[in-house]
Amino acid sequence: MLSFLSFLVFNALLACSLASSDYHERLLLRPLPQSTLLASFNFRSNETSAAFEQQNFRYFPRSLGQILQHAHTKELHLRFSVGRWDAESWGQRPWQGAREGGNGVELWAWIEADSDDEAFARWQTLVNSLSGLFCASLNFIDATRTIRPVMAFEPEGDHRNATNLHLLHGTLPHEVVCTENLTPFLKLLPCKGKAGISSLLDGHKLFDASFQTMAIDVRPVCDTQGQDCLLEMDQSVDMVLDVARSKRPQDNPIPRPVPIEQIECDTSKHYNGHDTCYPLNKGTEPSWSLKEIFGRSLKGACPLTDAGPGSETLCINTPPERDIHIETDGQFTESRSSADTMRCYQLPIGSDFDLVLPEQQMSTGLVLPEPQLYAARSINGHGQERGSAQSVITNPSARGMEVVYLESLPWFMKPYLHTLRAHVDTDSENPVRETYYRPAVDRQRGSHLEIRMVVPPASTLTLTYDFEKAILRYTEYPPDANRGFDAAPAVVRVLSPNTMGDRKGIYLRTTPLLLSLPTPDFSMPYNVIILTSTVMALGFGNIFNLVVRRFVGAHEVPQTGGLKAILQAKIARLTGRS
Amino acid sequence: MALISSLLALRRDARVQKLPPYLSALLVIVGVAWLFALPLDSYSRRTYVSENALLPAQVHTYFGGSEHNIFRAYRHEVAALADSSVADRSKKLADIFRESNLKVASQKYTYSAANRTIDNENVYAILQGPRADATEAIVLMAAWKNMDNDINYSGVALALSMARYFKKWSLWSKDIIILIPGDSTSGSQAWVDAYHDAHDPETIQSLPIKSGALQGAVAVDYPAGPWGHRYDKLHIVYDGTNGQLPNLDLFNTAVNIAGGQMGIASTLQRMWSHSDSYRDRLQTIFRSMVSQGLGHATGPHSAFIPYHVDAITLKTVGDGYHDEMGLGRTVESIFRSLNNLLEHLHQSFFFYLLLEAKRFVSIGTYLPSAMLIAASFSIMAIAKWVESGRPSSVPNPASTKPPPKASDSKAKDKPTEGTKKTDAKEPAPSKQASSDSKQPKTEKEEKEKEDSSTTTTLQSGSSKSIIPKAFTSIVSRPFFFPLALVLAVHLSGLVPLIAFNHFPDTELLALFRTASNLIIMVPIFCAFAIRWSTNMDVARPTPQENNLIQCFSLLFLGMLLSTLATINFSLAFFVGLACAPLSFVRESSDYITTGILYGGLAVINPLAVAHLAMKVGGVEILDVLVKASEGWHVWGMWTQVVVWLVWWPAWNVAAFVVALGFF
Repeated sequence: MLSFLSFLVFNALLACSLASSDYHERLLLRPLPQSTLLASFNFRSNETSAAFEQQNFRYFPRSLGQILQHAHTKELHLRFSVGRWDAESWGQRPWQGAREGGNGVELWAWIEADSDDEAFARWQTLVNSLSGLFCASLNFIDATRTIRPVMAFEPEGDHRNATNLHLLHGTLPHEVVCTENLTPFLKLLPCKGKAGISSLLDGHKLFDASFQTMAIDVRPVCDTQGQDCLLEMDQSVDMVLDVARSKRPQDNPIPRPVPIEQIECDTSKHYNGHDTCYPLNKGTEPSWSLKEIFGRSLKGACPLTDAGPGSETLCINTPPERDIHIETDGQFTESRSSADTMRCYQLPIGSDFDLVLPEQQMSTGLVLPEPQLYAARSINGHGQERGSAQSVITNPSARGMEVVYLESLPWFMKPYLHTLRAHVDTDSENPVRETYYRPAVDRQRGSHLEIRMVVPPASTLTLTYDFEKAILRYTEYPPDANRGFDAAPAVVRVLSPNTMGDRKGIYLRTTPLLLSLPTPDFSMPYNVIILTSTVMALGFGNIFNLVVRRFVGAHEVPQTGGLKAILQAKIARLTGRS
Repeated sequence: MALISSLLALRRDARVQKLPPYLSALLVIVGVAWLFALPLDSYSRRTYVSENALLPAQVHTYFGGSEHNIFRAYRHEVAALADSSVADRSKKLADIFRESNLKVASQKYTYSAANRTIDNENVYAILQGPRADATEAIVLMAAWKNMDNDINYSGVALALSMARYFKKWSLWSKDIIILIPGDSTSGSQAWVDAYHDAHDPETIQSLPIKSGALQGAVAVDYPAGPWGHRYDKLHIVYDGTNGQLPNLDLFNTAVNIAGGQMGIASTLQRMWSHSDSYRDRLQTIFRSMVSQGLGHATGPHSAFIPYHVDAITLKTVGDGYHDEMGLGRTVESIFRSLNNLLEHLHQSFFFYLLLEAKRFVSIGTYLPSAMLIAASFSIMAIAKWVESGRPSSVPNPASTKPPPKASDSKAKDKPTEGTKKTDAKEPAPSKQASSDSKQPKTEKEEKEKEDSSTTTTLQSGSSKSIIPKAFTSIVSRPFFFPLALVLAVHLSGLVPLIAFNHFPDTELLALFRTASNLIIMVPIFCAFAIRWSTNMDVARPTPQENNLIQCFSLLFLGMLLSTLATINFSLAFFVGLACAPLSFVRESSDYITTGILYGGLAVINPLAVAHLAMKVGGVEILDVLVKASEGWHVWGMWTQVVVWLVWWPAWNVAAFVVALGFF
């Protein structure tokens, strides 16, 4: 617990000391149980508001800056996520969930506009531009996927100068995040993945991670008088790597069974023999190095990083007894803080740097901060007509929590609000304090449900509601329609107690839901088309025949017939006479 | 219009009126013969994998090497649990899963059926796909005890070692759930019910952890003890509850992988040696139809199919040279294929009859068989309806009662029909009558009414005809009594249905014996009661009412069976076949005929047929009854509903009509 507290203090210090510097990057490594490693990359670039207005960009990327100016966006949060954070094994989320999104893509922004319509028009401009910038299908965030949350999000920046801000929020739960989204992400950085910690970011390893999320946050930061503002851009990548999996070489990634000699057997078992082996968990911390894990070497520091105390680029949070060897040709400094659980390194410029951790039997276990809440959501029921959704929020702590629960449902999933039940296992009192609900309009907008609830200490809150599934039009089905339809993850925000003390807030998100809608047999229309064509051809053929055929009476037909007439016709054709 | 009226005219043709029984019998014969044509090459097709994404047997499998050593160790661990309590067993299995870094949970369940309590525990682990988002999952099952009540040592050990092995791969796009049900049928039923929140939380625990929508399930049944056993073939079991089947693609994938990749032959429906001859194919069809028709759970996979989760069981059979690693690699390859799926399995057939592992008949080919049999009842129902609308076939000239007077509106239509009739019947004036057939309608025909005569004269234009009055007279049908009787009999089917499903096992056998005797007595008793309670002068029910009773009963039967044929072909076929004679029985005034007919019916009553089937199948009556009760309470089986609410009422009505002849 000590190491965790110090870690928090350290982070807070970091935030204060770096507010004024122009560019800063940091990689924080934290070994997690079950041979996994959390790597949190954070890149922060500042630009003064005055320079930003005059389009004088230094560290702030011009491409993104111009989009923000064009769309009148004052604050932007963009998330690309894959996988799940396993809170039971890994403890608290990085950044307390504030730099994390639901599976797929999530985007929310504060846009300056005079009216709702204008705000939405600007939002459309924003998503379309970002779609191009990040090679993601953000342009599919249309009115049906856009909501305007009222309680779940608050601006992180200072918006004293801005008036008429509109918050819009959109998600794409089925968007597959991959390398084509990482490349533009790296392009926004001043060192563009060539130097500094961003040189470690490799698509193969990043997208092989058990959990990864990429975040971009832009917000204005002002001093206490509200003058002298900065535009701050935070880019972060959090990934949980499976050490054994990541260490597999690129050319031999198949996890073949290891030779039996490399498996430690439990010799105390009576059946243990040359062909029988009960595997033992070694209980040691695995060996790894940056190069093995990320598949690339760290190419020194990014020269644009601010120097000075507290600005170390690479930090690792392990118990003090863990051996760490440094491999580099350049100059580096090491500093320890937080009772030696945090070791930070100032990287050399221009030469490779590597951390090597040998396999080690540890006497002290890893200390993991417990998450404030656990949340899980699932669909109950079966069939294609209706179902019910169930969310389970568990508060393991000794303090009551006030939370906001946000659901953004697609229009074809129609919740029955009268069936909404919130039930706490330890308390008979209704935990719901406030409900905000905006019902869906078919093909126009989705449902938006926000509930403020109190989860009593050491208890579990179960929230259920029934819903009906709409039948879509034939053309509204996406490709692979039989897979089902994704419903966006629910967002849970902890309102109080807010232990972070900053404006980022504490969030967690559930997994998305897969909704199976009644799906037509898509080959049927072709059968119908073929059948209809056949019928039409038959009908048309007959009518055409009747229309164009000339009917003559039997007596009108020339009497000549038989062999003679045929021969005459042949002769006439041969001689070319008609 | 002309076509319709000439068709209507046909109703009165004596030849047409004699036709339905022959037609009905023909349909039954063709329906049965149809089935015998199915095993021929021209009527069946080779199987093929329809879903492109499955790509069966396209991946290398790596399960082997040191995994074999670990498998053997796990098998010893499992063997050591053979005598331990359910709680200890669950704990140990959960520990092994936990050592592989999986999320583990267990579920207790209690069912009671026929006064027997099923009390056991499921253990399951979830392997979270590294990049999956918990929206889809596939299930690997190894029930603790298989269908023969043997402990599934190697199967459970294989599931444990596969879980450990699968954990190392990063390519899973879906979660993998490894489930060890406490027993083969109820355990998986409890689990899958709870997974979809369709369970009773009082007796079945809710699942503490869940994953996404289930896309497929594969169960392994390999009851070899701690020292192993080499098997010869894989027996693929695919029948679900109520005769529902998994998507044929899943079955094909398993056959393809086992045969094409691992060299393990597949077999089905307990056909241990299949020479692919006509006889063997027919036998396979017959066995699968029996299995479907009974609708019982055939393995841990059966519970999944009603939830639209395609599932199969792989059971090792025989003595051969294939070992557990071969089975493991088959499972690995099947899971790699399922993992490739982009969509829920939907491409291939859900209704099929398999002739052998690589040959099948699709629903379009076999369905007419059951439909023809169902249609035979509908035809007889129509015939009975028409018959009930006629006065007794030979008009009685001695009758002193005046014939009923036709109302004006009907009188207008009838003569027209009558004229048509004459046109068709009498060849001499036909040419002239048809050439100016428009004339008679404008000219008003005269109708001569001769009250005291049994014949009537009709005139159309210049042609006249004398026909029996019975052809033109109108008979009203009494509806209430026949309909009430048929409905009452159908409703009374609830009594045995409830009794058989709720009696304790100690009394089930006695109930069966009592019911077997009672079932024969009931129609006679009913017939007697009705004859006795009504006025003896009129002898209710009249022959016309009898016709209507049979008509309604057969109509229901035909309708229900044709509906049933689309969901459970085999059950509809067997019930249809057993009911086929019911179309042809009628009340007879002759005691001997009545006795023979009734004796014949008594032999084909539902319980007698069931008893005979049990004798032939070599199963204990009590076992079947207990399983049926379990099926009703646990698996959601509705074969009993068909037996007691469709088959028995139809039989009972027919027997009742015959029994009227005794009194």
